Amino acid sequence: MKQQALAHFTDVYLIAIAFFLFLSVFVGYILWVYRKGSKEHYDYLSQLPLHEENQT
Amino acid sequence: MSASNNSNSGLVQVKYNDEIVRMFTLATIIWAAVAFSIGVIIAAQMAIWQLNLNTSWLTFGRLRPLHTNVNLFAFAGNAIFAGIYHSTQRLLKTRLFSDSLSKLHFWGWQFIIVLAVITIPLGLSQGKEYAELEWPIDIAVVLIWVIFAINFFGTLLKRNEKHMYVSIWFYIATIVTVALLYIVNAISLPISFFKSYIVFAGIQDALVQWWYGHNAVAFFLTTPFLGLMYYYMPKAANRPIYSYRLSVLHFWSLIFLYIWAGPHHLLNTALPEWLQTMGIVFSIMLWAPSWGGAVNGILTLRGAWNLLRTEPIIKFLVAAITFYAMATFEGPLLSVKAVNALGHYTDWIVGHVHLGTLGWNGFLTFGIIYFIVPKLWKTELYSKKLADIHFWIGILGILFYYVSMLTAGITQGLMWRAVNANGNLVYPDFIETVIRIVPLFFFRAIGGVLFLAGFVLLIYNVYKTIKQAPKDLADETVQVKGASSAVNHSERGHRRLEGMAVAFTILALIAILAGSIIEVVPTLSINKYVKTENKVEPFTPLELAGRDIYVKEGCYTCHSQMIRSIHSEELRYGAVSTIEESMYDRPFQWGSKRTGPDLARLGKKYPDLWHYMHMENPRAVIKESIMPAYPWLISSKIDFNRLEKTVSLFKKMGVPYSDKDVSDAGISAKTQALGIAARLKDQGVKGDVSDKQIVALIAYLQALGQKGVQ
Repeated sequence: MKQQALAHFTDVYLIAIAFFLFLSVFVGYILWVYRKGSKEHYDYLSQLPLHEENQT
Repeated sequence: MSASNNSNSGLVQVKYNDEIVRMFTLATIIWAAVAFSIGVIIAAQMAIWQLNLNTSWLTFGRLRPLHTNVNLFAFAGNAIFAGIYHSTQRLLKTRLFSDSLSKLHFWGWQFIIVLAVITIPLGLSQGKEYAELEWPIDIAVVLIWVIFAINFFGTLLKRNEKHMYVSIWFYIATIVTVALLYIVNAISLPISFFKSYIVFAGIQDALVQWWYGHNAVAFFLTTPFLGLMYYYMPKAANRPIYSYRLSVLHFWSLIFLYIWAGPHHLLNTALPEWLQTMGIVFSIMLWAPSWGGAVNGILTLRGAWNLLRTEPIIKFLVAAITFYAMATFEGPLLSVKAVNALGHYTDWIVGHVHLGTLGWNGFLTFGIIYFIVPKLWKTELYSKKLADIHFWIGILGILFYYVSMLTAGITQGLMWRAVNANGNLVYPDFIETVIRIVPLFFFRAIGGVLFLAGFVLLIYNVYKTIKQAPKDLADETVQVKGASSAVNHSERGHRRLEGMAVAFTILALIAILAGSIIEVVPTLSINKYVKTENKVEPFTPLELAGRDIYVKEGCYTCHSQMIRSIHSEELRYGAVSTIEESMYDRPFQWGSKRTGPDLARLGKKYPDLWHYMHMENPRAVIKESIMPAYPWLISSKIDFNRLEKTVSLFKKMGVPYSDKDVSDAGISAKTQALGIAARLKDQGVKGDVSDKQIVALIAYLQALGQKGVQ
């Protein structure tokens, strides 16, 4: 099985599939971080290091 | 319990564990002093060979692995732990999971470092770069890392802040990946408490080693420090990160891509072509996330650039991020095959590494130290002025270091490949190319001294700061909203928190496993690449004994055993190295630096006597050599008894030795040694050396490149 898989490592279609897989994960992520309502969420998150809670 | 409930308001009182952060911070400073000092010593040894002092445990080959290990595990390691423990508690608004685990983590780690500092100069080494530690210490490293992981994930599960800031992501990826890398790369079988052999051989070992080695840079020197950057940069500038969205992209792109890039350390070697190409492609893609992250860090200062003039902490952090950008620009550049052909094995690579370590890891850590020490000791920094001077001396040091190494590397690289109109090498004697760059070694050493001098100012500054601290250093206490109130008092709420962390960890794990599996697994079926007609003979027992000495003395820190498929290398060293030639080598010794020439085909090039004289005093045969002398090899004895175990173990791991080879290992080695010793005697060597290490080493060196069918 492994040998057969290896034989396909130079397969141009496989390379193309891998390329689109990577690209779609990347594009998917970009879309995800710009999803609706994400701005408030990310604003909240980015303030986390700056929260100095009430010290006693 | 550290947190007590105030049920009326849903507020919880949290006491941070600052004691452990103080301990790790001080450990960072102490070990950094040690690591940097060793760096200065070995830099000086490169410039002035006499500084090897003819002493085994002070010789370059033993001290350089010590330098890298102490820097990586002791300086960077303690810095990471200090920063992670400090920032994680504040980001998750909870005390660390367990005080005892924290203490165990701290003392266990320091104990490991002490063991490393003792064993590496003694020559107890597995002979793999940044993974020299012998197997009992490896086990200790894994145990302590697991304790760290339990302590961290325990903290994560009892957090009072529902959302995980991006720094936490980087920490999680670090913990998971380092564990995987370290364990896989250290799988070895012992023949005694002090000696073991890696299970992978030759090309497999090469690939696993650089999958580990490169990702030690990625997941020990990059991701945790990026996590720290994402916390301390906003903290120090008192404004949020430039773009949180970019940080999300930065994280996922980086961990997805980094894990694949290891093979760029093995370009133009016997590594299969598709793996080399894959390493190049992913290295070049890394440009994007690296620069995205660097820009994100620097632009955090938007609207507050004036801080860059007045605040030494900001100077350190911004310079560190700038060095990160420079090093990650140069990295992909060096991964391009043609550039790599010139730069690899030269001092350019050494310069590149130090751009990252001195500039990025060093300066980021210094910035963090100046930031947290006054906070942890509840006082002000003793002197901003001194911190400022530290910054400028440090920058000057890095400049000296990098420029001299870049110049040395390119100069020597060009000299190695220079071919005249007749098709012959312009500089056929390797030593000519060394003489040319020795002056630059002095400049590098000056750079190291400057960097260390700046650090001494930090030590003094921290010392004075702590001295003016109040006696009572109570843990910082804060009021935070409890986790239960944050998610509507429901039982399910806390579950959801845990679920998120677990799901996230699994996702990160998938990201790093994908690259690891595709890169490493096919190579483990080495038979696919080994051509049966290229059969090689395994080493004789005496040659194996010599090989152990070669590993022990750290010869690989200056000599490679890999003739790349580059024309000038064939002219200089002989036929290109094949996969088969190193197929039984445990550990592989392809090397990563040529301060001296490649040794893959050294065998039979010189008579035994030449090697004898060369090891006793290199200057006796090569007048201008900068190699240390190894006089102790002539007086120390060979451990013949151990050979049977070694050969037997190798046989079990698939090296074609017969049962007789195993049982007669000692006798066969003694016979071969007598032969070499007799020849040496005929040629005028005084005294009987037949049981001395020098004979085993000569046997090994004479066998290099002689085992394959040409």
